[in-house]
Amino acid sequence: MRLAIAFMAALLLAPPAWADCPLDLGRGTGLVVFSDHYIIALRPEPLHIEVGEPFSLLLNVCTKSDRPAELVAVDAQMPEHRHGMNYRPTIVALGEGRYRVDGMVFHMPGRWEISLDVRAGEESERLSHEFIIK
Amino acid sequence: MTGRLAALGMLVLGAAAFPSAWAQPLPPWSEDEVHAIVRHGPWPPPVPRDPSNRVDGREAGIVLGEHLFNDARLSAGGDMSCAGCHVAGRDWSDGRARAMGRVELDRRTLSLWNVGYAHWFGWDGAGDSLWAQSIRPILEPREMGSDAVRVARLLREDAVLACGYRRAFGEPPGTDDEKLLVDAAKALAAFQATLVSPRTPFDDFRDAVESGDREAAARYPAAAQRGLRIFIASNCAACHFGPRFTNGEFGDVGIPFFTRPGEVDAGRLGGITRLADSPFNLLGGYNDDPAGAGALRTRHVQRQHSNFGEFRVPSLRQMASGPFMHNGHLATLEDVVRHYSQVDPDRLHGDALPLVRPLGLGAEQRSDLVAFLRTLSAKVVPRPAPPPLCP
Repeated sequence: MRLAIAFMAALLLAPPAWADCPLDLGRGTGLVVFSDHYIIALRPEPLHIEVGEPFSLLLNVCTKSDRPAELVAVDAQMPEHRHGMNYRPTIVALGEGRYRVDGMVFHMPGRWEISLDVRAGEESERLSHEFIIK
Repeated sequence: MTGRLAALGMLVLGAAAFPSAWAQPLPPWSEDEVHAIVRHGPWPPPVPRDPSNRVDGREAGIVLGEHLFNDARLSAGGDMSCAGCHVAGRDWSDGRARAMGRVELDRRTLSLWNVGYAHWFGWDGAGDSLWAQSIRPILEPREMGSDAVRVARLLREDAVLACGYRRAFGEPPGTDDEKLLVDAAKALAAFQATLVSPRTPFDDFRDAVESGDREAAARYPAAAQRGLRIFIASNCAACHFGPRFTNGEFGDVGIPFFTRPGEVDAGRLGGITRLADSPFNLLGGYNDDPAGAGALRTRHVQRQHSNFGEFRVPSLRQMASGPFMHNGHLATLEDVVRHYSQVDPDRLHGDALPLVRPLGLGAEQRSDLVAFLRTLSAKVVPRPAPPPLCP
C-alpha cells in the first residue's frame, strides 16, 4: 500500500519536466523512489525476491531538471544486522536513463535497504528503499 | 487462516498433555510462527539440475560416480577413497572432530547429505560447483594426494571404468588428462547430488501445520514444539533458513579459528581467494554451460574483511551425533546449544554478525531446543550396493 501511495504521490507531484520520464517499470508490481531532484522507477527481476536467490533490478533514472542522470552505484544492507550483501552487483547502462543491475542476492530473511547512488553533472544523491524479505 | 490458527492452538494444547518435564500448556502458534514453520519445507524439494555438469541427473553418470566414490585407486597410495571419510553409515561423514587424510586436517568432514542443493561447497566455499569441490580432495597432498595423470590413466586402462565412462559421457576416455580428471569429478558430483536425507518427524509436523491436520500435528512431541518456538523466537532461521535449514552462506559464530599456536583458519576469506585462483571454477573452461546463469554467484561474490573467520552455515538436517562446527570444537548437540546460549560477544570477530548473541537459555529451554533439533533427523535405510558399471 505504501508503495502504491508513493507511486501516486510521485505522479501527482511530478513537475512538468518529469513528464517525459518513463515510469513503466514502476507500474503494477514495480516501485517508484523519488527525492527533490530524482525519480527512479524500478522493478526486480524476477518480480518476487527469494531469500538467497540472485535477482536483477531494472531501473529508469530521471531528474527534476531534465538533465541526464547516471546511476553510479547500487548496494543493499540489513540495518538491524549491520551487514550488506555478500555479492557486488554490476550496473549495465541500457541507454536513455535505463539500467540493469545484476548480481543482487538477499541472503537472509528480514528488512533490506537498497541504496541507489545517482548523479547528474556535479550533483549526486543517495536514494533508498526498503524490502521486507520473508 | 484464523480458523486454522485456532485449530493449531487447540492441537498444541493437546500436544502439551504428552509426558514432559515442562508440564505447562503451550500457547497457540501465531500467524508469523506458522509462516516460519511452513517455510522449512516441504521436504524433499526437487534437486536442482546442475547445467555446468553434463552428466548431472543422468543414470550412467550417477552409477559411474558411485563406483569412483568407492575406488581407492583414485588416491596416490591406492589406499584412500572418498567413501573412507564420507561414510554412508555415518551420515556421509566420519564422526571425527577433524578429518583424517594422510595427516589430521584442520576441519571436520562435511556431511554429503543434500549437497546437491548447495551453491557453495566446503567450509570456506572455495568450490562453486559440486564437481569442482570433488576435485579438491583428490589433488590435495594431505588427503588423496593424487593427480590428473593417475586419474586419467585409471579411467583409460581399467576396462570396466572405461566402459562406464563411455556410457556416461558418450565417448571413450580421451587423451586429455585434466579433462578426464574433471569428468571423473563430474561423475562423482552426479552421484553425490542424489544423496537426499529422509523425511523427519519435523516434516510430518510441518505438513500437518500447513494442512491444518490436528491429529497428525499432535503426534509431534511437546518438547520439540517448545524447542521449535525457541528456534523461531531466537531468529535462528536468519541463517538456518528454508527447507535445508541453511541459507548456504557464511558466518562467524564465535568458534575459535586458531588451528595451532600462531596459525589461523581464515575461513571464507581464504575460500574466496582459492575460488578465484581455481582453474576449475565456473568462470573457467570446464563449465558445460558457460553462457548460463550458473556462474552468476562466482562472478559477483565479493571478498570482504568480514569474511575472515566465517564458515559455511551447515544444514541442520540429519546432523548425526557430532562432533559439530567447522573444526569439531563442540562434541555434542547439547554443547552447541549451550554455545549459542552463552556465546561471549567479545570472542566474536569485529565484523561478526550482531545477530549472534547469547540467548541466555535455561536448562529446560536448552533441553527443548535439543529435542527440536533431534526431530530434524530420521533413521536412514542402509544403502544397497551400486549396480554394476558394465555387464
